Amino acid sequence: MKRVTLDVRTLEHPKPLEYGIEALKNLDDQSYIYMLNRKNPIPLIRLAQEHGFQTLSHEAFEQEWHILISKNKELPLKEYLDV
Amino acid sequence: MFDQNGLSLDQAPPVQVVFGLFLMGSLFGIIAGLSLFYYRTDIYDFSSTAAIVMTHLLALGVMMSFMLGALFQMLPVIAGVVLEAPLPKANIIRFLLFSGVTTLLLGFVYHAPFLFLFASVFLGSALLYIGGIMLIRLRKLSHHSASSKGMLFALSSLCILVLLGLYLALTHAQLAVGDYFLQARKLHYNFGLFGWMGLLIASISFQTVEMFYVTPAYPKIISHYLPMGTFLALLAMAFATVFSPAMIALFQPLLYIGLALYGLITLLRLSQRKRPLADATIWFWRTGMGSLVLSMLLLLVAYFTEADALLPSGAVLFLSFALSVLFAMLYKIIPFLTWFHLNSQGYLTTPMMHEIIHPKTAKKHFFIHFAMVVSLLLSQTASWIIFAAAALMLLSFIWIGYQIWHAHKLYRHTQENSEKFDMGMMEGVS
Repeated sequence: MKRVTLDVRTLEHPKPLEYGIEALKNLDDQSYIYMLNRKNPIPLIRLAQEHGFQTLSHEAFEQEWHILISKNKELPLKEYLDV
Repeated sequence: MFDQNGLSLDQAPPVQVVFGLFLMGSLFGIIAGLSLFYYRTDIYDFSSTAAIVMTHLLALGVMMSFMLGALFQMLPVIAGVVLEAPLPKANIIRFLLFSGVTTLLLGFVYHAPFLFLFASVFLGSALLYIGGIMLIRLRKLSHHSASSKGMLFALSSLCILVLLGLYLALTHAQLAVGDYFLQARKLHYNFGLFGWMGLLIASISFQTVEMFYVTPAYPKIISHYLPMGTFLALLAMAFATVFSPAMIALFQPLLYIGLALYGLITLLRLSQRKRPLADATIWFWRTGMGSLVLSMLLLLVAYFTEADALLPSGAVLFLSFALSVLFAMLYKIIPFLTWFHLNSQGYLTTPMMHEIIHPKTAKKHFFIHFAMVVSLLLSQTASWIIFAAAALMLLSFIWIGYQIWHAHKLYRHTQENSEKFDMGMMEGVS
């Protein structure tokens, strides 16, 4: 399974959303996005969900969210969490 | 731009709502630039028609149009407040606001009482209607952030500002006796500049500065207590005006000190960015906050020393504060809104944000704007420089108006010419 890592913790808004949407457009069944963000990017998650993606958000620490998104709904995203 | 509540795709207002109000603000800005050629340095005599016309052109025509447009955009984003049927509401507001500002300005120029009556009807209905709706929706929130709470105080100030303005306009229309005309005018300016404009900008910045520029959060003593403190000081001034005028001396300096502190904290936060890349919007913010601090200091000194000669510079710097932050926000909002709507509608070849407004375009505008502020300040000692200031003000608003028009054109062009995609169904879409 191919992991697409996006560490956007130091990027200024709305760059995280811009990169996230571009990554969504390129995602196939054999890959998933692993995003590190200082906020839970609800617009990105809602957009992904509206387009049928599977999402998982986990707050590891204060201002450190791990967001996993896959097109393949069968992927066990919880198992891919680094924390 | 988002807090933990995030933004629902169906909550973002149509671009026409926001762009329509922004374009109207630009139009009034162009009229302000042209008017400055005519009125020249007469604007620095605060009792003159020139000063009253320019103040209302800029505060009501320009700032009110842009601030209402920004509120339509920001309320769902920052506070999770959704306004139903935003397009019809915005159209009504645009019509009433345009008619109201025009009749009010003509009323000032021609001293015609019936024009003030029309202005009262147009402006009163527009601003109390939209201010009231926003206020009611905000009050219903179960959980408030510092920003949403600050917006409550700003909108409450707007309603009081409008009521005071109605009293003044009806006095001009010879429909009110106007026993308290001078006191009401002073309160009208205070609620307008500090309560409405100052608090709205501050409230929005509590969230956006941290998000846009990756800075530490504002200290709670500022973000939680500045809006409430400012509003209470304004209310106390209103009561003091009627019952104990001597008490006003206690509260007026507090307003200056509060906003100066906010400006200093914002400058500090902007210097603490985690990614110190300086784009034009940062320079707009720095100019705005530097101007605010200087403006408040000048007003404070003028207040205690009665050095009225400082007041025009204080006013110019306050204008610089408001316009600088406004432009900083516009260069974030316009590309984002265009890009976000096109993406959420699923267009395949959506332009990137830097393609909608190139960063160099914003930088050029910053130089024009900064030169305008400097020219206005210098024109108080060398009056011929006012022509440069007028030309720069005109250019500045033509510039921002063109960016708004261009973004909208790009939006329509993408809608008409781009294919739609479904990210869930298609593979390999880039």
